[in-house]
Amino acid sequence: MKCPLTPNSWLNPSRGKRGQPLSSSLILLFYLVFYGFLAALFSFTMWAMLQTLNDEVPKYRDQIPSPGLMVFPKPVTALDYSFRVSDPESYRGYVDDLTKFLKSYDLEEQKNLTACPDGALREQKGPTYTACQFPVVSLKGCSGVEDPEFGYSTGNPCILVKMNRIIGLKPQGKPRINCISKGEKTATLSTYPSNGTIDLKYFPYYGKKLHVRYLQPLVAVQVAFNTTSTGKEVTVECKIDGSPNLRNQDDRDKFLGRVVFKITMHA
Amino acid sequence: MYSCLDLSGHVVLFELGQLYPGITMEFGKTRGRVTPQELNPSSGPKPKRVPKMVGRRKKEKVKRKKNKANIEELKKEVVMDDHKLTLEELSRRYSVDLTKGLRPEKAQEILDRDGPNTLTPPPTTPEWVKFCKQLFGGFSILLWTGAILCFVAYGIQTYFNEEPTKDNLYLGIVLAVVVFITGCFSYYQEAKSSKIMESFKSMVPQQALVIRGGEKMQINVQNVVVGDLVEVKGGDRIPADIRLISAQGCKVDNSSLTGESEPQSRFPHFTHENLLETRNICFFSTNCVEGTARGIVIATGDSTVMGRIASLTSGLAVGQTPIATEIKHFIHIITMVAVFLGVSFFGLSLMLGYSWLKAVIFLIGIIVANVPEGLLVTVTVCLTLTAKRMAKKNCLVKNLEAVETLGSTSIICSDKTGTLTQNRMTVAHLWFDKTTYEADTSEEQTVNTFAKDSDTWFILARIAGLCNRADFKPDQETLPIAKRATTGDASESALLKFIEQSYSSVKEMREKSPKVAEIPFNSTNKYQISIHLREDSSQTHVLLMKGAPERILAFCSSYLLNGQEYSMDEEMKEAFQNAYLELGGLGERVLGFCFLNLPNTFSKGFKFNTDEVNFPMENFCFVGLISMIDPPRPAVPEAVCKCRSAGIKVIMVTGDHPITAKAIAKGVGIISEGTETAEDTTAQLKVHVRQIDSRDVKAIVVHGSDLKDMSSAQLDEILRNYTEIVFARTSPQQKLIIVEGCQRQGNVVAATGDGVNDSPALKKADIGIAMGITGSDVSKQAADMILLDDNFASIVTGVEEGRLIFDNLKKSIAYTLTSNIPEITPFLLFIILGIPLPLGTITILCIDLGTDMVPAISLAYESAESDIMKRAPRDPKNDKLVNYRLIGMAYGQIGMIQALAGFFTYFVILAENGFKPADLLGIRHDWENSYVNDLEDSYGQQWTFEQRKILEFTCQTGFFVSIVIVQWADLIICKTRRNSVFQQGMKNKILIFGILEETFLAAFLCYTPGMDMALRMYPLKIFWWLCAIPYSILIFIYDEVRKFAIRNHPGGWLERETYY
Repeated sequence: MKCPLTPNSWLNPSRGKRGQPLSSSLILLFYLVFYGFLAALFSFTMWAMLQTLNDEVPKYRDQIPSPGLMVFPKPVTALDYSFRVSDPESYRGYVDDLTKFLKSYDLEEQKNLTACPDGALREQKGPTYTACQFPVVSLKGCSGVEDPEFGYSTGNPCILVKMNRIIGLKPQGKPRINCISKGEKTATLSTYPSNGTIDLKYFPYYGKKLHVRYLQPLVAVQVAFNTTSTGKEVTVECKIDGSPNLRNQDDRDKFLGRVVFKITMHA
Repeated sequence: MYSCLDLSGHVVLFELGQLYPGITMEFGKTRGRVTPQELNPSSGPKPKRVPKMVGRRKKEKVKRKKNKANIEELKKEVVMDDHKLTLEELSRRYSVDLTKGLRPEKAQEILDRDGPNTLTPPPTTPEWVKFCKQLFGGFSILLWTGAILCFVAYGIQTYFNEEPTKDNLYLGIVLAVVVFITGCFSYYQEAKSSKIMESFKSMVPQQALVIRGGEKMQINVQNVVVGDLVEVKGGDRIPADIRLISAQGCKVDNSSLTGESEPQSRFPHFTHENLLETRNICFFSTNCVEGTARGIVIATGDSTVMGRIASLTSGLAVGQTPIATEIKHFIHIITMVAVFLGVSFFGLSLMLGYSWLKAVIFLIGIIVANVPEGLLVTVTVCLTLTAKRMAKKNCLVKNLEAVETLGSTSIICSDKTGTLTQNRMTVAHLWFDKTTYEADTSEEQTVNTFAKDSDTWFILARIAGLCNRADFKPDQETLPIAKRATTGDASESALLKFIEQSYSSVKEMREKSPKVAEIPFNSTNKYQISIHLREDSSQTHVLLMKGAPERILAFCSSYLLNGQEYSMDEEMKEAFQNAYLELGGLGERVLGFCFLNLPNTFSKGFKFNTDEVNFPMENFCFVGLISMIDPPRPAVPEAVCKCRSAGIKVIMVTGDHPITAKAIAKGVGIISEGTETAEDTTAQLKVHVRQIDSRDVKAIVVHGSDLKDMSSAQLDEILRNYTEIVFARTSPQQKLIIVEGCQRQGNVVAATGDGVNDSPALKKADIGIAMGITGSDVSKQAADMILLDDNFASIVTGVEEGRLIFDNLKKSIAYTLTSNIPEITPFLLFIILGIPLPLGTITILCIDLGTDMVPAISLAYESAESDIMKRAPRDPKNDKLVNYRLIGMAYGQIGMIQALAGFFTYFVILAENGFKPADLLGIRHDWENSYVNDLEDSYGQQWTFEQRKILEFTCQTGFFVSIVIVQWADLIICKTRRNSVFQQGMKNKILIFGILEETFLAAFLCYTPGMDMALRMYPLKIFWWLCAIPYSILIFIYDEVRKFAIRNHPGGWLERETYY
C-alpha cells in the first residue's frame, strides 16, 4: 500500500504562531483601519437613518397613545410634599419651582399668543401654527399673582397638575382633571379652573418645531385642611375624566391619566 | 524459548520501587513528579528469602490506604521463592499435607486472618464526589464565580437600598441553575457509561476445587486460602497463585498476565529463577486450557501477582486531560479580559462621577457579563454528542474529556495480539512439492490460490486433518467455518479450519479413517503421532505425524513430490531448510508433516501401545510444511497508514517474539516496506544495536531484555530517533516505562492493552484504551476508553472524531464568544454615555441560553474542512483551543460589527419614536428616575416613566433580534476557519435547523402575547428586524475576504494574526 509517511505540512495547525514585534504595530494599524472603517460605516447608516426622519413629527407615536399626568412642584425622589407653615425655608423649594414653571405663563410672555375660542378643538393646517393663550388668572389663588407663596404660607398649598404633551392628540368629550382626597376626609380640595376643566382649544399639539411657544393647559389643586381634623396629612388622587379616549387606569403605569401625591403639613 | 525474557515479577516490581521513589498518591498531582530513574540496578533476581511472608498477612486486610509506605511494602513483598522449594519444604512452609490438604478448621482460620480471595476493587470515588466534580470542575468554576458575584452585587444593592432592581438576583440564580443542570447532565452521561462498564463484569461466582482434610470439595473462589491444596482442570480459571505439585498435560493461558497468547505447559519442576517464567507456578485469574494439575496456593487476593499489579495501578498518579488544560487556559483568558474590562470601567465610572457603590456594582456587572453562560452547556453537549458518535463506532468513552484526548494523541502504544491481529491462528503458507503456497488469511477466507490438484496436497490435508486433536464445538453448522468455535489449541484449530475450508469435511475424513492410537504432542518430543485405519479396504494402518519441522525431517527417509515418493536427498534437504527459514523468518509457526504406511503385520485389530512403542518409528515419508500466524486484522494496515499520515507514531509493544512481532509490524505497516531495522543492520555488521548510527535506520525492534538495561536517557534517544519502533518480549511493566518515556518528550500517548498487566500503562497513558471483548475488568477500570470490537482501526476513527471535535469546539466557542461583545458594550455605553440601557440582563440570557444554544451545538455536527487525518497532531503547547487570535476575532472584529448592528437598531427604534441619538446622551439620570413622568423627547412630547420603559424594552428586544440576525452570519462564517463557505457547502442540516430555530425563537419571544409581562419583551415592527441585515452581510463578506486572503497567502500576516 502506498502510504504517505508524514502529515501534510501545509495543514499543520501550529504554524500560525505569534510573530515579531513588527507584528504588534501592524495589528494596531489593522485595528485602527478596521475600526475606522466600522465607525465610518456606522456613521453612514446612522446618517441615512436620520435622513428618513421627519423633523416635525416622529415616525411612530403608538408608544404614547394616551398622556400621563404630572404635578408641580416637580417631585424629585417621591411624590410626597412636606412642609412647615411656620418655616418658609421648608417650602421655598416648592414655591421657587412653581414660580419658575409659571414663568412661561406670564401675561407678558403670552402677549403674542392667540386668544382662541373656547370649547372646540383647534386644528390648524399650517404652514404657521399658533398657540393659544392660557389665562393664568383662571388658576385663581394658585396663579401666583395674588399670592406669590401659592398658599403654602397660609396652610393651603397649591399643586399644579398638567397633562403630558402628545403630538396630534385630540381628546374627545369634555376632559377635566378630577381630584379627590383618599382615605379620611382630612381636607377639602378646590380645583381651578372650576371643575378642573381642560379646554379643547389647546388640542391638538403640533410638535416642538411647528407649534412654538405652545402652552399646556393647567389645573391647580388647592388643599384646605379641616380645622377639626387632627392630622394635617392628605393623599390626593387626580385623574383625567370625561374623555373616552384618554385612559386613566393602567396596572403598570401609575401616571397614565392619573397621579397620586401626598401632602403633609406641619404646624 | 523463553530464555530471553528474564524479567521476573519481583525484579520488575523492585524496579518500580526504584522508579517511583517519590510517588505521590494524591489525585491530581501532575505527572511531572514521577521521574523514572536508572532502571534496574541488578540484572538478576534477588535470591532474597522472606522467611514468612509477614507483611502480607494482616496488613493486606487493612484497607489499602494510598500512601507511600504501603506501596513500597507492596512492591517488596513480591520477592517469592515458592517455586524454588522442594515439595517437602513447601509442605512445611504452609504446614499442609500434600495429599490431604489443609484441615477445614485451619483453612477457616486462615480465611479469617487473610480475608477473602478477591482483588480489592480499585478505590472507587463515592458518587457524591463524582457529582461534585461535575458540579465544580473546570468550566463550572467560572459560572459559579459569576453567580456568587451576582449575589454579592445584589446584596450590596439591597443593603444600601440602591436601585431596587432584582436583575442581579435573577442572573445569579440562572447561572447557578445552569451549572447545576449541566452538572447533573454530565454526571448522568458518565453514570451511563459506567453502567455499560458494569455489564462487562461477569456475575457468575467462580468455583474452585479444593482438597481439605482429604476430601474434595467445590468452594467459592473467595474462600480459597493460602496453603490450600487445589485441583484445576482444562477450562478452569486458576483460583489463586498456585505452586504445582503434580500435573498431567496441563497447559495454561497466561495472556491476561503476560500478553503471551500461546498456552504454556505447566509441570511441578522448577525451571526458571523468574517467578513469571518458571513452569511450576500458575497465576491467579489466568486460565487452564487443558490437562489437570494439583498445587498448593501460595498467594491469594491482592497479594497475588495479578493483585499486586492491579493495586499498583490504582496507585499511579494521572495527569490532566488535554481538554481540561485547554479549558483552564480558556478560563484564564476570559477572566483576564473580564477583569481588565471591569477594572478599567470601574476607574472610568469613578472618573465620570458615579459613586463608589455604583462603580462596584458596575464592576461586578461587567465581570459577570463576560461569563459566557451558554458555553458550558455547549461544550458538554458537543462532547457528549461526539462520545455517542464514537460509541457507535465501537469506541466507548468512559470520561467525556477523553473524547478529545484521542484527537491530540501523537503516539499510540499498541498491543499486538488481538488489537493489531485477529487473535486467531490461521494457516498462512504451505510448502509442498518444493513450492511455497500462500493461503488466504483474510477474515473471510474466500480465495484459495494454491495447487489443489497436486496429490501431495491430498495427503498433506489428510495428515493435517487426521493427526489433529482439535474439533468443532457442536451446533455451529450455520456459521462460516472461520467463525466456528473449536476445542483444542490454536495451531490445531487453525489446521482444522483450514482443512475444513479448503479440502473437505474433517468429520467425514475421521469417520472413514478412525484413529486407533495416538501420541499427543509434548515439548520434549515436539511431535504428535496418530495411527489411523486406512481409508481403502486394505485393513492396514497408516501412521501420521506432525511436529517441529527439523524433528519431522529427522524421521524421514523419503519425500513426496507431486504424489510420487522419492528417497531423501541433499537437494531436498536444502530446499526444506530454505523453506523452513523463509517461513520462520516471516514470524510464522511452522509444522512439518509426514506419514508412514504400516505393513500388513499391523492390520486391523493390532493393539498399538503408545507407551512402549510397538510399531516402527522410522523411514517416514516427508510430505510438506504448513505455517501459521495470527494474521493482522484486515483493516489495520490502512489504519496504521492513516495514523502515519496523521503524524501519529504507532509503537508496537508486545510480549511476543521479536521475529513474530517484526513480521506483524511489517504486515501492518508499523515498519514500512523496504525499511531495514536496526537489527537487520546489526546482524549484518555484527555490532550492538546502540552502536548503529540512528540516522541510517528508521526502524528498530527493541528487545525487552535490552530495554531493561537501558537508562531512561537511552530510551528517550530511541523514542526520539526512530520513527518505527517495535518493542518485543517486553514485560508488562515495561509498557509503563515506554509510555512514560513518550510522555517525557511531550507526547500525548494512547496505550492499548487487555491484560491486567497492561493496566498500569493504561492508567499512566493520557488515554488508556482497553479491549471490550478480551479485556480484563481491571484493565477496563484503568482505561479511559474501551474498544468494543478490540480493533485497532476503531482507534483511528476515534482519533478522527477527537480531532474533529477539537476543531468544532473551536468554532462553537468562537461563535458563542462573539455575541459576548454585543452583550457587554450596551452596559459599557450605558455607563459612559448615559444612554438608556440598550440590552438588559434578561435579553442577554435569552441569547446565551436561548437562541445561541442550538446553533452553537450544531457546529459540533460540522464536517471537517480538510482531511484532518492528513495533518500532524496538534501541538499542545502552541495550538490552543482558545487563543488570543480567536478572542481577537470574536471580540475584536466580528463582535464589534455585531455590537454596531445592535446599536443601530437601538438608535433607529428610539429615533423613530421621538428620541434622536443626540438627545439621548446623558439622558440616563432622568430616564431612570421613576418620578420624572414628563420626560421630553426631541419632538416636545412628554413621556411617563412606564411609557419610556416600554420603549426601552422594545429597544432591547430590537437589540436582541439584531444579535440573532448577525449571529446568522456569524454561524455561517464559523462553519469554516480557512475554507470559503462556498467550498464547505451548507450540508449541515442541524446547522440550518439551528438558524431557523433561533429565528423562530426570537420571533416567539418577541410576539407572543404575555411576553411583555413575563420577559419584558415587546413586539417589533418588521422594519426593525431588517436594520441588522447590512451588518450581517458585512460580517459575511468581511470573513470571506479574510479567509480568501488566508488561503491565498498561506503563512501570511493575516493568517498569523487571525487564524484561530
